Amino acid sequence: MSNLLEVNHLAVSFSTEEGEVQVVRDVSFSLKKGETLAILGESGCGKSVLCKSILRILPENGSIKSGEVILNGENMTKLSPKSMDRVRGKEISMIFQDPMTLLNPTITIGKQIMEAVLIHQKISKSAAKKKSIELMELVGLDDAENRHAQYPHHFSGGMRQRSVIAIALACNPKVLIADEPTTALDVTIQAQILELIQEIQAKTGISIIFITHDLGVAAQLAQRIAVMYAGKIVEIGTAQDIFYDPRHPYTWGLMSSLPKIDSDEGLLNCISGMPPNLLHLPRGDAFAQRNKYALKIDYLAEPPMFKISATHSAATWLLHQDAPKVQPPVRFQGL
Amino acid sequence: MNDVIYLGKKVIQFVLVIVLLSIIVFYMSRLSPGDPLMSYYGDGVERMNTAQKLEAMDKLGLNAPIYKQYIDWLANAAHGEYGISYKYKQDVTVVIGDVYKNTIILGGLAYTLNFLLALLLGIFCTLHEDQTIDKIICKVGVVTSCIPSFWVSLLLILIFSINLGILPSSGAYALGQSNNLTSRIGHLVLPLTVLVLSHLWYYTYMIRNKLVEEIRQDYVLLCKVKGLNKKQIVYKHCLRNIMPSYITIMAISVPHILGGTYVVEKVFSYPGLGSLCFESAKYHDYNMLLVLCLITGILVVFVNMLAQVINDKIDPRMKHDRSEIDWNCNTATSI
Ligand SMILES: Nc1ncnc2c1ncn2[C@@H]1O[C@H](COP(=O)(O)OP(=O)(O)OP(=O)(O)O)[C@@H](O)[C@H]1O
Ligand SMILES: [Mg+2]
Repeated sequence: MSNLLEVNHLAVSFSTEEGEVQVVRDVSFSLKKGETLAILGESGCGKSVLCKSILRILPENGSIKSGEVILNGENMTKLSPKSMDRVRGKEISMIFQDPMTLLNPTITIGKQIMEAVLIHQKISKSAAKKKSIELMELVGLDDAENRHAQYPHHFSGGMRQRSVIAIALACNPKVLIADEPTTALDVTIQAQILELIQEIQAKTGISIIFITHDLGVAAQLAQRIAVMYAGKIVEIGTAQDIFYDPRHPYTWGLMSSLPKIDSDEGLLNCISGMPPNLLHLPRGDAFAQRNKYALKIDYLAEPPMFKISATHSAATWLLHQDAPKVQPPVRFQGL
Repeated sequence: MNDVIYLGKKVIQFVLVIVLLSIIVFYMSRLSPGDPLMSYYGDGVERMNTAQKLEAMDKLGLNAPIYKQYIDWLANAAHGEYGISYKYKQDVTVVIGDVYKNTIILGGLAYTLNFLLALLLGIFCTLHEDQTIDKIICKVGVVTSCIPSFWVSLLLILIFSINLGILPSSGAYALGQSNNLTSRIGHLVLPLTVLVLSHLWYYTYMIRNKLVEEIRQDYVLLCKVKGLNKKQIVYKHCLRNIMPSYITIMAISVPHILGGTYVVEKVFSYPGLGSLCFESAKYHDYNMLLVLCLITGILVVFVNMLAQVINDKIDPRMKHDRSEIDWNCNTATSI
């Protein structure tokens, strides 16, 4: 099957008072139809910026420096703003981290969903209203007829996230980018929203890029997983590859930081040290300072992506043919 | 029920403010140095001796203590008698009745024109934010708003009335042509131009900044994801959300533009409330001054309260907050 979405060597920078910050560096991945790709990474590694750059909704001080985003064979980084407006919502859509402030507080939920329905489709107002009520039912907002006329302040966080999902799905896009859609919600609501997203995918066959910093969520949803560190994808592969045969020391760190039910240790493992300052990236591998297995070359040159199998690659010098063989410290025992 | 209490509170507030205003103006005009007899008897005052002056003062009721004069005035005002103008020796209401329409025409036109243009310019600048045209408009705007209006008036009179001779420099209409529409319009052009030039940028700038701020709100991100373009986002979402601020600006600017109108009336010898106001203050025409101050004050206070009420009604968020506060007050008083 060919790729629905392809991101090739994408680089995004922000110009700030202190200088240029490279937030996304040489990111490449692809997405097939009906597939879910999870992008894992700690806070501040550039996940949200990556999503926004794909949709070209970066804040004005941010810009795509190089690379391409190919959707259905068309390079979106080259599209005019006008053509880009026709792609957003129709071909590719997005939901966000914090649903509380995403809806216009002065317009009813129903109208906001109807607007999304009407923007790419030539249908009558009443048909749009019917469609918007269907959408509200699809995302599990009960009493849709009455809810339709209510304002966002009548809605709880979970209900707002459902409304945002309804808006994102209004024109049946082929790709949905979900940027940590459950982070700001209660645990019980989190599970409901995840279920909802899975249900919708089963019904519509939509392709999903799911951003998260939760390995468990990634395991539950995704067929493929990309691990991101300091603006780069350091390891990418199928869920099997990542969980049963992780190759990057950072991925090892993530795995061992999972709480183990049968463990005697009272403490959780965590990766020591702080993520690097993106404004002054160190020479060589950005992860070297925190890496127990760092080699001398890690401080000198950035590792390229080494291919491990057809589906699996990782960017660490440990995979170089001359590197010493290291036993991964963790074995995945199921979640 | 809540609405009735709300309205009742506003009315009481309104009456209190106006009574207070009348007391202050009453005292201040009488305490300020100068001779009210001058406006009634003109130069004849110089030939009067002390006894005659005292008698004249008695006749005008100006010898009693001020608080007594105020109570008398209040009693008369309750019957709709606001006293005579010392200068015109006519009922104050008659003198005002002759000219108030001129002020309404000039002030009303200036007000409407200013806010219409400010909104259009504000939207235009927002849509072209940080482009050359926006920067030029901003620069020109700052310059025009910094020039004092009386100076612009004189400059315009010099150019259009004296040098070119195409527009009249004073009055509201040519002699004996009070029903001639062309003559009236001709006399309005210069004063209106001054009023627009000196106020327009002030409001445009406020509206532009509100819009530019609004377009950085989170909900705009979701609008972009839907596929709305900047124009649609500004017209359908942002404008609506800045309306409460716009209306507030409109309300608080009534005194601003009214004050401007009074000054411009004076410069162009345009017969209106402004010219009357200056005269009555200059000649200690107490009754006239008080009534003019009250008319102006009632208008300003009323319009400010109107803004509050409209604000409360237009924004569902504010309404929500208010009803909660009201509820708290009621329970507090009932306990
Ligand atoms: N407008 C901006 N100007 C400058 N730097 C920015 C801007 N927006 C984001 N950044 C920087 O980009 C980096 C990545 O931010 P991003 O929001 O993508 O992180 P994230 O991976 O989504 O984290 P989280 O899990 O907390 O959402 C951060 O270090 C942040 O400081
Ligand atoms: Mg984020």
